[in-house]
Amino acid sequence: MTNKKYKTLVGRVALFIVLLLIAFPFIWLFISSFKYEKDIISFPPRIFADKYTFDNYVKVWTTIPLVNYIKNTVIFAGGVVLTSVFFDSLAGYAFARMQFKGKSALFYFVLLTMMIPFQVFMIPLFIEINQLGLLDTYAGLIIPRMTTAFGIFMMRSFFVALPKDLEEAARIDGLNEFQIFIKIMLPLAKPAFLSLGIFTLMNNWNDLLYPLILTSSTEMRTLPAGLSLFSGQNISFYGPVMAGTVISMLPLLMIYIFAQKYFVQSSAMAGMKE
Amino acid sequence: MKSRFTRLSSYWNKSEHAAYLFLAPSFLVLVLFTVVPLLGTFVISFTNLNMFFTKKDFVGFDNFIRVFQDDRAIHSLVHTIYFTLLETPAQIIVGLLFASLLVKDNVFNRFCRSTFYIPVICSLTSIAIIFSMLLDPNIGAIPFLFSKLGLVAPQFFRDPTLAMPTVAFMTVWKNFGVTMTLLMTAMQGISKSYYESADLDGATSSQKFFSITLPQIVPTLGFCILTNLIGSMQVFDQVYVATGGGPRFKTETAVQYIYSRGFKPPYELGFASSLSSVLFAIIAFMAISANLYMAKKEREMR
Repeated sequence: MTNKKYKTLVGRVALFIVLLLIAFPFIWLFISSFKYEKDIISFPPRIFADKYTFDNYVKVWTTIPLVNYIKNTVIFAGGVVLTSVFFDSLAGYAFARMQFKGKSALFYFVLLTMMIPFQVFMIPLFIEINQLGLLDTYAGLIIPRMTTAFGIFMMRSFFVALPKDLEEAARIDGLNEFQIFIKIMLPLAKPAFLSLGIFTLMNNWNDLLYPLILTSSTEMRTLPAGLSLFSGQNISFYGPVMAGTVISMLPLLMIYIFAQKYFVQSSAMAGMKE
Repeated sequence: MKSRFTRLSSYWNKSEHAAYLFLAPSFLVLVLFTVVPLLGTFVISFTNLNMFFTKKDFVGFDNFIRVFQDDRAIHSLVHTIYFTLLETPAQIIVGLLFASLLVKDNVFNRFCRSTFYIPVICSLTSIAIIFSMLLDPNIGAIPFLFSKLGLVAPQFFRDPTLAMPTVAFMTVWKNFGVTMTLLMTAMQGISKSYYESADLDGATSSQKFFSITLPQIVPTLGFCILTNLIGSMQVFDQVYVATGGGPRFKTETAVQYIYSRGFKPPYELGFASSLSSVLFAIIAFMAISANLYMAKKEREMR
């Protein structure tokens, strides 16, 4: 028994060290973002300063086009979430609850596209978007992401699990297929929407390479694509970049605090692929 | 006219026909923006296309020959594989370790889980910004702590041999929460009765781990390894932000070289596409062989 207690104690201590290891970079960033420039670049570096300031949070708006970055990220990630959750659930619903020719072949196709990494087809995608005249526009950022194979897969798993006779009763009431989907199925799918929506929001909010290649002007950059250009450029950007990084992480952190369950659920859903 | 309309709407209202309408938007997007570009990559690989379309001739296997003669291309592939070999096993082991440490449901464990998941929801860009400042020899807190202990701080991202391991460490730090969550969900699904009968036989906790837990989570473990391998082969963000491929191209990865060859001068889309094709072939080969191996393992376990 004492041996077991000793073991749990060692486990606890180890976990505390790891907790510190995870939290420290965030805490350090947060503290440093309130430091004066001379304290940020002082040598030897110090973790705490004598005086703190909101300067960086004031300066960041003028040294970096942060307002544009935030606006672009919200429109891009928000637009992708709204469209892809809707189209993914349409397709997922069809795969889950409708009988039609070529169903298994089409579903296999969806599973295959899930395996194709974006990085290997980004050049032709760039050419396509450019030819359509959509480069550096919100439409160009949103349209290619209006559906994801993973979202279709996830919504299918959700709709498959609903009770069998739901749509039969609605059909007797004279609803057509689309009405059944909108009036009966969508209200039931709210938890799945939240999980998929948060998952999609997180992926697009944080994405770097995709918005980097599909936008060219500074005014159209998203938060990651914009901040990456300013990081490590010049010592006088250090403070504002720190503040900008904190601001860029805040929205998802806030959602995480209130809707942790859905973040974790979407992760767990990703594991049910087999 | 009206009868034609009703006939049409009753046709599309049959669920075996309506299904195609439900699928149409998604398939349009998937075909136009995934399948067509993927085929485009292979086609463009055989041309000397550049970004301004001033060249667009068929050049056969020229690009592929140039890829294999280009030291920077070969090195970028080697660095990518090196990163994958460092990152994937570490992330799986760390994820597995914390999944088994935190699988019991109590307040402390829930707090640890929530904290370990925070880096997952942050962008690689912001994490790379934080780490490059934290490890900066001039302003960083970590070199400062080293000096306090009387040690010479390593240069981390600026040291040619240490840069890639540092990038891999940072990636594990950011992402192990995903692996942990997936594996923990699988562990929570194992029937308690296995453990109860093992307890009756007097099994130690490590025996229980290796003969009950591990075999039961093999499918999820396989999934984690596979997605991690594929994901690591596409590494870009953290390297682009933290090291920019340096020092002396020592951390330049395949995707990064594709990006700087295609989207930066000399804007050679053809050459960059053939490197993309090579990368795709490597990823596909890895994915298929890992899949076959897992399937074999799973059959053996059952």
